[in-house]
Amino acid sequence: MRKITALRAIVGIAAIALAASGCTADGPANSDTVTIGASLPLTGEFSQGGLDTQRGYETWVEMTNEAGGLLGKPVKIIVKDDATTQDTAVSNYNNLIAKDKVDLLLGSQSSLLNIPASAVAEKNKMLFVCPSCASPDMFSRGFSYIFFSQQAVASDQAKVFAQWIANLPPDQRPKTAAYPALDDPFAGPAVDGAEKILSAAGIRTVYKDQYPTTTKNFDSVVNAMKDAGAEMVVQGAQFEDGVNMIRAMNRAGDKPSIVYQSSSPTYGQQYLDGVGAQSAEGVFSSASYNSIAKTADNAEFVKRYEQKFGTTPPEDAADGFAAAQVLAAAVNAAGSYDDQAKLADWLRANTVETVLGPLSWNSDGSPKGDFLVGQWQGGVSQVVLPTDVATTDKVLRWQGGVI
Amino acid sequence: MVSLVQTLILGLLVGALYALMASGLTLIFGVMRVINLAHGAFAILAAYLTFTLWRNLGLDPILSIPVVMAVMFAIGWLVYVLVIRHVRGAHVSMTVLATFGIALVLEGVMGFIWGNTSTAVRTSYTDASLSLGPLYVPQAMLITAAIAALVIGGLYLLLNYTWTGRAIRAASTNEGGALLVGVSVATVAALTFAIGVATLGAGGAMLSTIYPFLPGTHYQWIARLLAIVVLGGLGSLPGAILGALVIGVGEIAATNYLGAAWPVAVPFLVIIIVLITRPQGILGTRLREDAVA
Repeated sequence: MRKITALRAIVGIAAIALAASGCTADGPANSDTVTIGASLPLTGEFSQGGLDTQRGYETWVEMTNEAGGLLGKPVKIIVKDDATTQDTAVSNYNNLIAKDKVDLLLGSQSSLLNIPASAVAEKNKMLFVCPSCASPDMFSRGFSYIFFSQQAVASDQAKVFAQWIANLPPDQRPKTAAYPALDDPFAGPAVDGAEKILSAAGIRTVYKDQYPTTTKNFDSVVNAMKDAGAEMVVQGAQFEDGVNMIRAMNRAGDKPSIVYQSSSPTYGQQYLDGVGAQSAEGVFSSASYNSIAKTADNAEFVKRYEQKFGTTPPEDAADGFAAAQVLAAAVNAAGSYDDQAKLADWLRANTVETVLGPLSWNSDGSPKGDFLVGQWQGGVSQVVLPTDVATTDKVLRWQGGVI
Repeated sequence: MVSLVQTLILGLLVGALYALMASGLTLIFGVMRVINLAHGAFAILAAYLTFTLWRNLGLDPILSIPVVMAVMFAIGWLVYVLVIRHVRGAHVSMTVLATFGIALVLEGVMGFIWGNTSTAVRTSYTDASLSLGPLYVPQAMLITAAIAALVIGGLYLLLNYTWTGRAIRAASTNEGGALLVGVSVATVAALTFAIGVATLGAGGAMLSTIYPFLPGTHYQWIARLLAIVVLGGLGSLPGAILGALVIGVGEIAATNYLGAAWPVAVPFLVIIIVLITRPQGILGTRLREDAVA
């Protein structure tokens, strides 16, 4: 039948388009130049974070070249777009290694993309420092070249926040919680980790579900959370789903007193544009970075980033910059990148100062530290926990009221 | 019971947006036998035009609808003349390939102009609701439903009570016969394609007030819109409305009663079930070529 034939054709063409969405090579690396290769989601669902990470990489390359390069050689970076698809990310890293013959690799953005991409690096015995790969699944495969350049894995991402809520006086502590999460290797473990701590403190789980990355309509999710009577919402979110959730909660008149989102609020101005300053007020998040922190090279990084892009660096840009700092620290310490097992051994034994603060690693490449807990207050992203590094001593409920 | 009624309210309102967006797709197929895979990309383009008018001129998305529809009409006509006209009589796979190519080009152009990051339009009504006791009705969705009724109603009047509409229906029913009685089928086809894209302009404008969007989002929309017109019957306007409401309620109910992972599967399940049980859709009719294929 003609109509059915047309539908079959649609499926076939879609498959061809997906297969063809990789990028072309830039040619073999030059021995007088240190060439770094990376694949990032510059388009598609995770493009917000991918583009920010690219800016972080490019800022690091520019500053490094001005300071004399890496091992005295100028640095060049090749970034390919993986369109937020795992197959393309794998294909890109294979091409970077085999066709572009890059000297070093930097990771992609999100655990979803880095889990398959890191297997390519491991197979080729190349160091793989990823700026955004917090899923515990990254580090349970016995790999020895993979390092995550943030403070903690996803299951511990909301740990500081959850422990703080659990220790609130009973009259201030929410009694029920909802845990919606993106079906993603990063977002799921983040809420699982929080739920474990909060449940142990007697906070009852009244809603828990995962939604796919393509979910647009959150009205029904919010409707279910509202019906369940959740006093607190802990969402494992990337970017767009976090914005969508807040807007749907506003539409439904759903007003939980505590709202935590794992990543979305860290996107800075884009998040404020998406939900509005009033709706952002009091939203908690875990952050690896704060632009006013007195960490290694941070003042110079912020200044250069603002000059280049006209805005304060968002978290993903800082994470990208930090990943490159980690890679450079290992290369400088080893004095060469010919044997990348030595670079990995050095990272396992040392601490690296970055714009995120000092980073160190377990033997499996997972980091040893704790995330900062941020909160939007008056249109500014403040650090509220741990209290010894907090930028304010005020902690708010969602859309008003001091805790 | 409250939950069920709330589910129905949200589902029907979501379905109204889907109907507004699907009406042009089914009209284009009904007259031209062209499955326009660029329909989702045109919707996102309309959303970006609305966003640009809102951000740069402060024009409310509702007030921008006539402007966006006019621009989309012109774009639709241009795309027909430049591309569709040349492949219209070819095998269906050629038109599918051509319109998919248009979608990819539009995605690239939108990414170049507006970037590949998520965008949203926020006004006083986009995140507000009306309360009806324990129930709530999102204002932007309610306005969208009213606009859908106006635009689809206008389309119905155009098709049934104007000479242009009769020409469109004549070309849709029997192209050869229409030619014999003096209808310029080529002009009618261009007009139909432009009208189909223009009605989508209203859908894209309201989409921008409800959901964040980026150029790559069009894949999700075309999958859903195809499911709607397949369910309702390719080429049937009442079928598209019915299909949209069924899919809308189905998605919301699936989230409520099965889990948040299910709504994405609903459109594809619908396509599979319809192809097995009633290939012509609920309100579609079998064509002569269907019978002999």
